[in-house]
Amino acid sequence: MFRRYVERGLLAGSAGGLAFGLFVAVVGNPLIHAVEGMGHGHHGHGGHEAAAVSAATTNLVSIGGGILWGLLLGAIAFGVVYYFLEPAIPGEGTTKRYVLAAAGFVSVSGAPWLVLPPLPPGVETALDIRTAMALYGVMVLAGVLACLLAGYAYDRLRTRGVGVPLAVAGSLVPLTVLVAASLLVSIPVAGEVPAAMATAYRGVAIFGQAMLWIVLASVHAWLGTPDIETPPDSLDHDADPASLSD
Amino acid sequence: MVREDTVSSRVTHAKQDLSAREVAVGLALVAAITFALLVFQEPLVHDSLHNLRHTGGIVCH
Repeated sequence: MFRRYVERGLLAGSAGGLAFGLFVAVVGNPLIHAVEGMGHGHHGHGGHEAAAVSAATTNLVSIGGGILWGLLLGAIAFGVVYYFLEPAIPGEGTTKRYVLAAAGFVSVSGAPWLVLPPLPPGVETALDIRTAMALYGVMVLAGVLACLLAGYAYDRLRTRGVGVPLAVAGSLVPLTVLVAASLLVSIPVAGEVPAAMATAYRGVAIFGQAMLWIVLASVHAWLGTPDIETPPDSLDHDADPASLSD
Repeated sequence: MVREDTVSSRVTHAKQDLSAREVAVGLALVAAITFALLVFQEPLVHDSLHNLRHTGGIVCH
């Protein structure tokens, strides 16, 4: 059973990864090069020193990395996490997938972006890289916690006979707390990029991750759910004797 | 088998279903991926993924 969930997670991840790799190729790469060419005070990639690799390598490796990024998120969220949390995720069928995708987006990107928003090349935070990475990790964990609490609140309210709208409102409490807490943290940034370009860049970063999660959820829903009650059938080439015995 | 499907039943099910070897392989894979993510800080890899990090909004510098 677990294997079939992981298999579906990997399939959804492959589709999501290909979609995101394509997005990096046709939108990300050209946009980042364009922002870099806008003549701010820095030189080259990363804004702190000359790049160690050529632009062609960066383009190609970034596309490959985008594919693996989607595969990783698919395997973790829709393979492992979905197997364990499926009974607890609010909604039915397809809705469950989109709820998990929303939680994934909030945890992996949304929560960290509350304190460390996507910055275009040439703009840097005042934090040193280790602190920034640690903060990013802490915010991912905070996002996961807020999403788990939101799901828990929803389930508890529903089992007590509360209607869906009120249960949804209750589930928004932990997320609101997360947003409110993040407002207390303000990290200065240095560097300049034209405001319109910075806005466009931020929109691309948000759209890219949202699109990736939507593709993951949609493909996963399209693949269907392996039924617990059904023994492995001929559709799956998962012929292991262990799962026949239950 | 009309049993209530809960998170804890999934955990129980996974424990019965997976052999110790599969769990070990899974944990080794997690360790390998974590290691790979740490290696991403190496300058060559870091700069190669520059566009991806910006497109994905994972920007810590």
